[in-house]
Amino acid sequence: MSKNNNTSKIEKSLKRRYLKENIFKASGYASIGIAFMFLVVLLADIGIKAMPAFIQTQIELKLDLSYESLQLNPESSVAEIKKVDFRQVIRKALRKQFPDVKKRKEKKQLYSLISSGAEYQLRDMVLENKELIGNEHSFNLYADDDVDALIKGTINRKLAQSERRVKDFKISLIEVLEKNNQVSKKFNWTFFSSGDSREPELAGIKGAIMGSIYTILVTLMLSFPVAVAAAIYLEEFAPKNRMIDFIEININNLAAVPSIVFGLLGLAVFINFFSLPRSAPIVGGIVLSLMTLPTIIIASRSAIKAVPPSLREAALGLGASKMQTVFHHVFPAALPGILTGTIIGMAQALGETAPLLMIGMVAFIVDIPQTIVDPATVLPIQVFLWADSPERGFLEKTSAAILVLIGFLIIMNALAIYLRKKFEKKW
Amino acid sequence: MNTQALQNNLMKDKSNEAILAEHSKTIGQPFCDNPKISTRDVNVYYAENHAIQDVSLDMGQNEVIALIGPSGCGKSTYLRCLNRMNDTIDSCRVSGKFIIDDIDIYAKSQDPVLLRARVGMVFQKPNPFPKSIYDNVAYGPKIHGLTSNKAELDDLVEESLSKAGLFNEVKDRLGDSGTGLSGGQQQRLCIARTIAVQPEVILMDEPASALDPIATAKVEELINELRKNYTIVIVTHSMQQAARVSQRTAYFHLGKLIEVGETKQIFTNPLHELTERYITGRFG
Repeated sequence: MSKNNNTSKIEKSLKRRYLKENIFKASGYASIGIAFMFLVVLLADIGIKAMPAFIQTQIELKLDLSYESLQLNPESSVAEIKKVDFRQVIRKALRKQFPDVKKRKEKKQLYSLISSGAEYQLRDMVLENKELIGNEHSFNLYADDDVDALIKGTINRKLAQSERRVKDFKISLIEVLEKNNQVSKKFNWTFFSSGDSREPELAGIKGAIMGSIYTILVTLMLSFPVAVAAAIYLEEFAPKNRMIDFIEININNLAAVPSIVFGLLGLAVFINFFSLPRSAPIVGGIVLSLMTLPTIIIASRSAIKAVPPSLREAALGLGASKMQTVFHHVFPAALPGILTGTIIGMAQALGETAPLLMIGMVAFIVDIPQTIVDPATVLPIQVFLWADSPERGFLEKTSAAILVLIGFLIIMNALAIYLRKKFEKKW
Repeated sequence: MNTQALQNNLMKDKSNEAILAEHSKTIGQPFCDNPKISTRDVNVYYAENHAIQDVSLDMGQNEVIALIGPSGCGKSTYLRCLNRMNDTIDSCRVSGKFIIDDIDIYAKSQDPVLLRARVGMVFQKPNPFPKSIYDNVAYGPKIHGLTSNKAELDDLVEESLSKAGLFNEVKDRLGDSGTGLSGGQQQRLCIARTIAVQPEVILMDEPASALDPIATAKVEELINELRKNYTIVIVTHSMQQAARVSQRTAYFHLGKLIEVGETKQIFTNPLHELTERYITGRFG
């Protein structure tokens, strides 16, 4: 009798329990769906905006490189070639193609079809291959960013003249070039091979990539050994007393300090007091390692804590010393967790902007850094700088730089997963 | 003997707590001639908790002594005192005399690392290192520098595995991970690892509690075999196991050592009422 009673009671409650379970499942799916949707929208938006940045418009011109026009002779030295006014060579070719353009204003428009960097592009090509001198050759020269935008369609030709940057006259010139098949779209290698520039068509990400790599290397070299040593000491050797509790609390506090404060510290201590170079990856790396230390320490400590005590007992019971126990058994067993924590910290450092602003890594730097003491900037700051620039061409560069940054992060996370799988032991 | 029996009769109707409160001195034969390890007046505290009270016990040469008793009676704690494994627990305080071969185990000059090389330990849960079978056994000799070359080490590993009765089962896969073995094999690997260091005493903390009956039988056989060369102290919850493998048995109850005697006598004719209640299963 009582049994039947119970069964019916349980049956009733079962329905309720399953309902709750289903609601929970549904909300779980919904949360994942929303998160995924945001991710897709974000990536798609950035991706679509970034696409034009990987294409570069070039204009083909026949340039007269004869000795007399360059004012050179077959025995000219490299220094002499460097002194040649290649801008005039390009302008002459443009005037030759458009003989009707006579007015000063119109000439200015004509010259602005070609990027102001094209003369250096031409100079480098000539220096690389001196046999070009003495003849007439066709060259693909960078188009100016406005022309580039027009060709890519980011500037709408159908708008009223007053509402667009490129005026009717210039469009008519471009249309002539297009008709002659002189305009071509090529993959934008410049973007990956050069440093920053004020001209969007000449600006590249390589300086920022190298800056980021140097900064992260400095950060890794400093924070990994220090953090792991601190974590091992605190977990395995430290006595349990108030001093250690105090240190622990402060490590946790350090993890919560706003990152710009570390930048101020870097400015005050490393640059002003120790006179380390401004804007250099070494200072950036030191500041970022201060910032990532607590992250790695906390992750490493929990990884060490998760090593089963039976492993320690096994080693101690065999007569291994404390040090041997830790370094032969506990540390290798905790390594996957430590590496994961480290790479999370590194990824955090890679995406950090604020502290680096304070130490001058926000400067406009054209040269690609060669060492850790050269002035440099990093990827997130490059994004910041380009997003701040008024030229239209930087819009797509900004998105492309974000894509590169995300690519970096994906590579680092993939590395983390690979290392974890590699070092993980089965119990 | 008669007075003892009389005393026991008086206790028949009392509760465990009442008997324990009256109990002051271990009965039976806690001491023996020419002991390997002898302990006197051992007291252990975990912070405020008095885990072991005034225990005095000897362990003879080449003897298997079983420590039995209900959970929480302090037998594992006592065992871990013998190779100072309790040093790793911060709140644990140990007092009393522990002598192994005229050497004071807890003397300031005594290095726990050296002690643990002489007094090996096998744990309740098989805990091989996540390394190869070979490396598991070779680890102890390596850190202590017991062998001078690879060939010697190979021989020692083979000998240890053979003594633990494992060599024939694993000789073709010494490079495989030790954690990939079955539970019983893992425990025998842990025993092989312990004897590779060539200790004089082996402490076993419920070595068969995580094993099935067949693996248990193998481990017990092994203990009988090892007795020829080692002194073995074994903690066990299985009274049959204590009866099968040990020569002497000590009964612990709530931190006190109640009775020690020949195993046969303890299980057939216990002197103390608490011992009798425990081995006949009239407990708790």
